[in-house]
Amino acid sequence: MPGDRAAAVRIRKAIALVNAVADGAGDEDLTPTEIAEAIRDCLELREIEQGSNVRKYLGEALDATSDGMPADFVAMTLYAALGALGESWSED
Amino acid sequence: MRSAEGRGRTLDEAVDAALIELGESRRNVDVRVISEGPDETLVEVVVIDQATASGAASPTNGKAEAARVLVEGLLKHMGVRAQVTVRTGTDPITLDISGRDLGGLIGWRGETLRALQSVTNVMLGRNLAEGERVIVDVERYRQRREHTVREIALRAARQVKMTGDAITLDAMQAFERRAIHLALQDDPDVGSSSIGEEPDRRVVVGPRKPAST
Repeated sequence: MPGDRAAAVRIRKAIALVNAVADGAGDEDLTPTEIAEAIRDCLELREIEQGSNVRKYLGEALDATSDGMPADFVAMTLYAALGALGESWSED
Repeated sequence: MRSAEGRGRTLDEAVDAALIELGESRRNVDVRVISEGPDETLVEVVVIDQATASGAASPTNGKAEAARVLVEGLLKHMGVRAQVTVRTGTDPITLDISGRDLGGLIGWRGETLRALQSVTNVMLGRNLAEGERVIVDVERYRQRREHTVREIALRAARQVKMTGDAITLDAMQAFERRAIHLALQDDPDVGSSSIGEEPDRRVVVGPRKPAST
């Protein structure tokens, strides 16, 4: 579904940002605000249903970013969102 | 500990030369790149001490052993039959997963492997010091990628020196970009920088600008 694919692209973008922080490429000057913006971009997609697990995990990732949790924790939660999105595909 | 040096035109050739001398397979060795030039690569290949690698743990590598046991348990729950060993002589702690048909554990562009590493680090959080991380590798995928992008960087640097024009490489993940920056950091003529946004961030290899006076 095109909507889900757009969501997957945005979630992967957020994951890439978080991983860049965790892996420390040394060519980034990323702030938690930028990561939070990338996660909000995902949440703004209307294709992600209200009350779905995808939205739940994205919300948790946003909270984790705001609370200053380690990058790996945020990444893990975003991977969970990506996994939940995959499950919604397989249910179609 | 048995080791041998290998020389070759490429990294693979150099490693193969050392492996032939040692009579070992790639799975049982650690590779350290001693020098990497346009015409020749020199590596040191060390046979992994299986007793140490599989965690006949000394008290000093308690963290590594904890990480190994954790990943082994995760894989068991996932239904993946594989062997987990601690790579010797590495900082940060690196776990090698080996077995048959582990492509699914690597995933698209290493995504599944990266997710496994994130979960491992979160679960080990309390055992690790601040900023300390555990690297998880499957069939040396990550190590091979780092070697590959280093070769790409050196090739690009040679071309930049010949033409004077900057080269923009394909989009890469953070650990790959880091490997390129490290490979070129001591080159007096060629430098690297990154452009674009994740996940399309790319490294540009170009002539180093003379320092302004």
